[in-house]
Amino acid sequence: MAASNIDPAIFEHLQAKIDEEGRIKDELKDIIQQLEKQGRVTQSILSRIHNTPTGQLGPAVFQPCEKSILTQIHLVKILSDIASKHPFYKWNNLWTREMQNLIFCLQLRHWLAHQELETIEQVGNELGVPINVKDRDIFHLTIEEYLLALTSTIDELTRLAPNAVTLGDFSRPLQISKFIKDIHAGFQLLNLKNDTLRRRSDGIKYAVKKVEDVVYDLSLRGLLPKQTRSDDTPAEAKGGAGAPASDMDSEVSL
Amino acid sequence: MAGVKRYRDGPKPQGRTDVDSPYIPMFENFRAELDEHHDRREKIIKASRDITASSKKIIFALQRIRNLGEKIPTPIIKSKEYSQHTSTIHERFVSVAPDLKGINAYRYQRQISPGIQEFMEAVLFRHYLETQSILSPSEAAKLISENILLPEDDYVLGLFDMTGELMKYAITQMATNGELPASRTGGGGNILTGLQDLRTNLEALDVSGSYGVGRNIEQKMSTTRTSVEKVENAVYSMTVRGKERPKGWNPGMDTSRPVGEVEG
Repeated sequence: MAASNIDPAIFEHLQAKIDEEGRIKDELKDIIQQLEKQGRVTQSILSRIHNTPTGQLGPAVFQPCEKSILTQIHLVKILSDIASKHPFYKWNNLWTREMQNLIFCLQLRHWLAHQELETIEQVGNELGVPINVKDRDIFHLTIEEYLLALTSTIDELTRLAPNAVTLGDFSRPLQISKFIKDIHAGFQLLNLKNDTLRRRSDGIKYAVKKVEDVVYDLSLRGLLPKQTRSDDTPAEAKGGAGAPASDMDSEVSL
Repeated sequence: MAGVKRYRDGPKPQGRTDVDSPYIPMFENFRAELDEHHDRREKIIKASRDITASSKKIIFALQRIRNLGEKIPTPIIKSKEYSQHTSTIHERFVSVAPDLKGINAYRYQRQISPGIQEFMEAVLFRHYLETQSILSPSEAAKLISENILLPEDDYVLGLFDMTGELMKYAITQMATNGELPASRTGGGGNILTGLQDLRTNLEALDVSGSYGVGRNIEQKMSTTRTSVEKVENAVYSMTVRGKERPKGWNPGMDTSRPVGEVEG
């Protein structure tokens, strides 16, 4: 039988492409692994908020955190330089989890310090990374990543609410309750499809309920700080934000 | 107020209204962005489905070719079925090309991929029938309209699927003609050597480094091996038993159906 016409060069080309892909994958995984390791350090420092009185957050959490986050930002720059050489959406699944973790840490830290949401633009500035880029194929933060991180931030604050009471901070749960409700209202506006973001944001209503229960427990016992009301009316929205972060006036020995 | 979501479970919860949240403008902006993304995604999924369906019809038409190694006969090219589906494919590619430009090429790759793979299967099949050779990735990419990206993954997976069509073609031709399809001019070997060569080359690919194609390849490779073996067994039977068989019979054929097929 005569030999077939099949050109081996086609398969050599395919193999070369696959090998090239392997090299890119290894290079990216290496830096992402370093980012993951550093991310664990940051998260473990931040987890101290559950047993650190609000007044001591600065020296016990924020200051130690700073160095770790700066290292992460440096690693993100390296990642960005490598990643920007390749199609963003081909590879972003490799780093999206670590980027979400980092955004979560930043959002949490910012809220603890200022009781407000760090915007996506502010996060981008802090990281030195552009956001929601559509006209060029470069490394950036996506809206989905920001929102997914936000659901994690909500979970963490939900966990903090009862712990803050244990540590003697009775205004924290009110601040958290207002914040989570405000965020929940925002998520209600989105037309979400059946994806991860939808599943994660569906959980927010349970967070709202949990923190409401904490606030209710405090109000039942007259433990809420004096200048705020315990019931959930629009007037509370104006009064709640005024409560100082480390209000110890209503401390009661438990 | 624009954008107030209807609640599945009834009227809005009492006690606070959405206007209190200072984050509404931010989320409205996010909504606009996400809606645009989802709409684009839907559009591409629909186009991919149409391209897949039309590619399958073209493959079906190509299965009726009588002679290997020759240009597809004009009656088939000009047939309503073939030409209609060819233009459908072209139109769909043209319609989604703007949505797949730049950074979006990979953003929606998973959505357009089924259509591209099926289209690859069709063009590779047609090219093989005409030339008994494999269309290269760069030549195949030119056949997709409007500079839409052809990832190597979709090319390879389309190539794997094409071996299945070659197998069907070989088996059908042997059943109807009692002959192994080969070029009338003698060059390029026959379809069995072609299939065996393809299998050898595909098996030699090391996909351990791949980020994408690796997942599907085990299953596709297994299907290709089965296809090649089906043809090998059919050729063996034909060789060994040759003249004893009634014309149109082949091993494994369902004898409850009428033997022979209607010419296209």
